[in-house]
Amino acid sequence: MGHTIAEKILGHHAGGKPAKAGEIVVADVDFAMIHDARAGNALKMIEKLGAGRADFALPHVKRTALVLDHYSPPPNMEAANTHVAMRAFADKHGSPLYDVGDGICHQVLPEGGHLTCGDLVVGTDTHSTTYGAFNAFGTGVEGTDVSAVMMTGKLWFRVPETIRIELNGALQPGVWAKDVTLTMLGRLGAEGANYQALEYCGSGVAAMAIDDRMTLSNHAAELGAKAALLEADEKTFAWLKAHGAAAPQPVKADADAVYTQRIVIDTAKLAPQVARQHNIDDVVAVPDVAGQKIQVALIGTCTNGRLDDIRQAAAILKGKKLAKGVRMIVTPASRAIYLTALREGLFEILTAAGASVEAAGCGTCVNITGHYIAGDDQVVISSANRNFKGRLGNPKSEIWIGSAATVAASALTGLITDARTVAGGDWRAAA
Amino acid sequence: MKIIKGSARILGKEVSTDIHCSSKYLPGKDTAFIATVAFDNVAPGFAKTFIKGDIIVAGENFGINSSREQAVHVMHQMGVAAIIAPSFGRQFYRNAINNGMPVIECDISGIVAGDALEVDLAGGSIAVPAKNIVRAVPPLPAAVQALLEAGGLIPFLQKHPDWNLKEQTA
Ligand code: SF4
Repeated sequence: MGHTIAEKILGHHAGGKPAKAGEIVVADVDFAMIHDARAGNALKMIEKLGAGRADFALPHVKRTALVLDHYSPPPNMEAANTHVAMRAFADKHGSPLYDVGDGICHQVLPEGGHLTCGDLVVGTDTHSTTYGAFNAFGTGVEGTDVSAVMMTGKLWFRVPETIRIELNGALQPGVWAKDVTLTMLGRLGAEGANYQALEYCGSGVAAMAIDDRMTLSNHAAELGAKAALLEADEKTFAWLKAHGAAAPQPVKADADAVYTQRIVIDTAKLAPQVARQHNIDDVVAVPDVAGQKIQVALIGTCTNGRLDDIRQAAAILKGKKLAKGVRMIVTPASRAIYLTALREGLFEILTAAGASVEAAGCGTCVNITGHYIAGDDQVVISSANRNFKGRLGNPKSEIWIGSAATVAASALTGLITDARTVAGGDWRAAA
Repeated sequence: MKIIKGSARILGKEVSTDIHCSSKYLPGKDTAFIATVAFDNVAPGFAKTFIKGDIIVAGENFGINSSREQAVHVMHQMGVAAIIAPSFGRQFYRNAINNGMPVIECDISGIVAGDALEVDLAGGSIAVPAKNIVRAVPPLPAAVQALLEAGGLIPFLQKHPDWNLKEQTA
């Protein structure tokens, strides 16, 4: 009987042979990440453990990145002091540190060359599934887990069952990986893949650029997935090489691997999708809700704050103005993306159209920094990943979720709009 | 492992511990404070009337979405003895085990507030003797029992820095 990618990667890291779904293994972790929303407690705990003990060591600390992205910039003293503690910890132990404005953990880890195909990576964040886009088993854990990794280099895992999802055909212009995940959320429901890994395959994946593949793996967190794995191809290898990653050890699923479910999505025919207010799995096709008014448009987050998202938005808003009464904020996912977008003139286009650009970080995702609060009854269209009531600070506002293309097209008209119906909505990077 | 006995306290389904049992949306408030107000928005008065040793019986996907470890610290502070639910959010489930909180996936139909529950983790059952309810649950994997018995992941590693889960549980 064959094995899934998850069974193989976890097995390789737990002594060699592929593991079996359902088994509990103790596996060697290649890289770990802890961000500022979780580091406070974990660093205090480590200090407590090490207090007065000469034999206390953190032999794996240099393979653990500290990322200051959630409280970026820090909205209160507590967060600012957590940042101070994180910088001091990184200085003392030699951990890689990404400071305020450097970007969101899930973007800076791959960009920093910290992971490659076949790796096992954990981070203190549900969207650590993002690393699956690079054929690495990435999964979310907590501060205690990362502390254990710093101390021992290992962690326990329950090997997940896997759902295989075949994407049939390249997406049309104006339709993005976000629309694929929203479709999946509509079908399986939020947490519909709880405890399980996803494997995305097929010509739809092959046609996607890396930015879109990252969305696919990232957004799997809303399905409750433990990991969302893609097979590697030439695009993967080229991207990893360009970012200085170690030599890839690609892992493929066996033809006779066992899956709990096989799903086929006709991606070539897919229309843009949106999740309506409050529930990420209340998904409808954009044409079915065209005409719904919006007042706030947000592009950013680890799901859709990447270069292709910003390029797509600029293609739609070039030489145009936002609809009257619309407020738009763009937050790139990393400093590297920020710089490239600056050089490409994208921020000039967006700023001239009436949008504001903010420093890289989690910003537009959740009301942590206090920057993005909408007024009562205002409707937000966002490229983020979650839309539960009050996530942006006001339970009386609504958050709708769509691709960056849908957000930009909607900002242009003031109504939820199918990007395929506006000029520039068909932008796509040359493959 | 010993049998856990306690009184049932009921919560609904899809309860987010991030929203209802952590300081994620109450920045600056500490665990001790959260323990006095936890779950009040979904079950008014829950924290104030919670008695040390009670068992939380919740609906599907308890601890859904991202979940802070702090939720488990809060529940320890409240004196939660165990949590029973038909399903848990993945991250919450992991956090519970890592922090020594027994979590049991089980059908909860027929259990109401105040029922006297008995949970046998090693044997694999939950029961309400007064109502003749006895339900078999798959016994927790030995490795998980080892972590729970040690009081969580860090206490376990302090005793077994070599991760020897097998020797522990053989
Ligand atoms: S952008 Fe949002 S979902 Fe992503 S890591 Fe930051 S807070 Fe979490």
